[in-house]
Amino acid sequence: MDLDILADSLRRVTVQVARGNVVGAGVVWAPEWVVTNAHVIRHRSVEIGLADGRRAEGLVVAEDREADLALLRVPHLGIPGAVAAEPGRVRVGSLIVAIGHPFGIRGALTRGIVHALGPVTPGGRSWIQGDLKLGPGNSGGPLADAQGHLLGLNAMVAGGLALAIPLGEVSRFVDAAGVCPA
Amino acid sequence: MDRLLALSDELAAAVHQSSRAVFAVHGRPRVPSSGVHWRPAVVVTANHTVQTDEDITVTGPDGRSLPAVVMGRESALDIAVLKLETSEVTVAEVGDSDTVRVGHMVLAVGAGPRASWGVISAIDRAASRRSESDVFGLDLTLYPGFSGGPLVDGRGVVVGINTSGASRHRQVAIPANSVGRVVEALLRHGRIPQAYLGVGTQQIRVPENAPPGVTQGQRTALIVVEVQPGSPAAGLLLVGDVILSLDGTPISDPLDLRAALRAERIGQRLMVSVIRAGQVLDVPVTVGERADRRR
Repeated sequence: MDLDILADSLRRVTVQVARGNVVGAGVVWAPEWVVTNAHVIRHRSVEIGLADGRRAEGLVVAEDREADLALLRVPHLGIPGAVAAEPGRVRVGSLIVAIGHPFGIRGALTRGIVHALGPVTPGGRSWIQGDLKLGPGNSGGPLADAQGHLLGLNAMVAGGLALAIPLGEVSRFVDAAGVCPA
Repeated sequence: MDRLLALSDELAAAVHQSSRAVFAVHGRPRVPSSGVHWRPAVVVTANHTVQTDEDITVTGPDGRSLPAVVMGRESALDIAVLKLETSEVTVAEVGDSDTVRVGHMVLAVGAGPRASWGVISAIDRAASRRSESDVFGLDLTLYPGFSGGPLVDGRGVVVGINTSGASRHRQVAIPANSVGRVVEALLRHGRIPQAYLGVGTQQIRVPENAPPGVTQGQRTALIVVEVQPGSPAAGLLLVGDVILSLDGTPISDPLDLRAALRAERIGQRLMVSVIRAGQVLDVPVTVGERADRRR
C-alpha cells in the first residue's frame, strides 16, 4: 500500500469534533459510534464533521475524564469502524501515521515512527510514544500502523513526543460503557 | 510484500538490532545519556554528558548496571570513551561512515530502546577544519538522553554518534570513522595523541611580489611568529618564515594547519614550503607529539 491510499482509508474513519472555534478529531469505532478524547468534548451534544463533508450530531454516551476518553453516538453515520491493528505487532521503530486537523488543517497526515512504548516517567501511564509531529486538532484522532490499522488515539504532545492512548485501553473503555456493539 | 509494511518492519528491526549494543550512561545529574558498546568492554558516548570522572555507571539493555571509568576524552569531537571491567552485552556493528550521503535515511537510537527517524541533512565539511572531523547534520529529533547514542542506517549499522552538544537545537552526529580513530588511538596509546610542529602563526596576505613557486590563487598564508624551543620546528623554521603549504596541501589559515596535523602524521617527515628571505624553500620537519595536556 502507498501512503496516499493509506491516508485516504484512514481519513474515511476520522471525524472532526467541533469544540468552539477549535476542531478536535475522533475515530469511527463502529457504525454510529465515535471515540475521541474527553478533553475535546465540552457539551453533551457535539457537531461532527465527516470526511465526505456531511455534518451530524453526536451525543456523548460515556466519558472518562481521567482516561481522557469519550464515546459518542452518531445516528445514521453509515461508516464502518476503523480496523484494529494486530496486537503486539508494533515495535519501537515501526512506521506510524496520524490523521487529524492540526491548527485547523482538516485531514492532515503526519508520519513518523514509534519512539518508545510504555510510560514516559517510571510508574506513569502507558503510552504509544511517537516520534511524530502533532498539533492542536490531532487530539482524539487515529494513530495507525503501516497498514492503516488503528493503534490508538492521539491524546497529547509532551516534550516534543506524540502520546497516544493504546488501543487496548480504548477497547476496555468502550466495552465498559456496554452500549456499543463489538 | 506491502512496501510500507516492509519499510516499517525494516525500521523496527534496525532499532532492535542496534539497541542491543546501547547503554544508558549515568555520568550527569538527572537524565542519563546513551552510549554505544563499540569494542568489548569499551563504550563510546558524548563527552559533554560525562560530567565526572568518578562514580560513572552504565546500564545495559539487559538492565544490569556496571561501573565504568573514563579512558579518554576528545572534546573537539564531543566524544568520551569509557572502559568497563567486562561486559556480556553485544558489541555494535559499526559501518563505514564515508559511504553516508546527504538524504540517506537514518535512525537515532537511545537507551530504552527509544528511537527517532529522519535523514542526513548535511555533511559539514567546513566543521572538519575545526574539529578534525566531518559532522553529519541531522533532520531528526535528538530527544533528551539521545546524546552519545548511535546513528544507524536502515540495517541498524552504526554510522555515527549523536550529540546535541551544548545546544538543544543542534542535531548532529560524529561520523563513525572519526569515532573509530579516537578509539583506536586510545586503545593503542592509552591517550589521544596531539600532533604539532611547535610554531605560533598568524594569517597574512601573500605578498604581491611573491617569488616564483607560490601556488597561483593562494591569497593568504601563515607567518611564523614563534618557534617553541625543543619542538619539532626548533632550528628548522624561523620566525618570519611564511608557511605556504604542508606536503603540497596549501595552508591558508591556522585551521588548515591544524587539519593537516592529524594524529596519524606523528613521526612523519613533512615538507613545509615557506617563503624565507624572498625565496621559496622546502624545509623537512618531522611531526611531533605534544606532551599530554589535561583537556
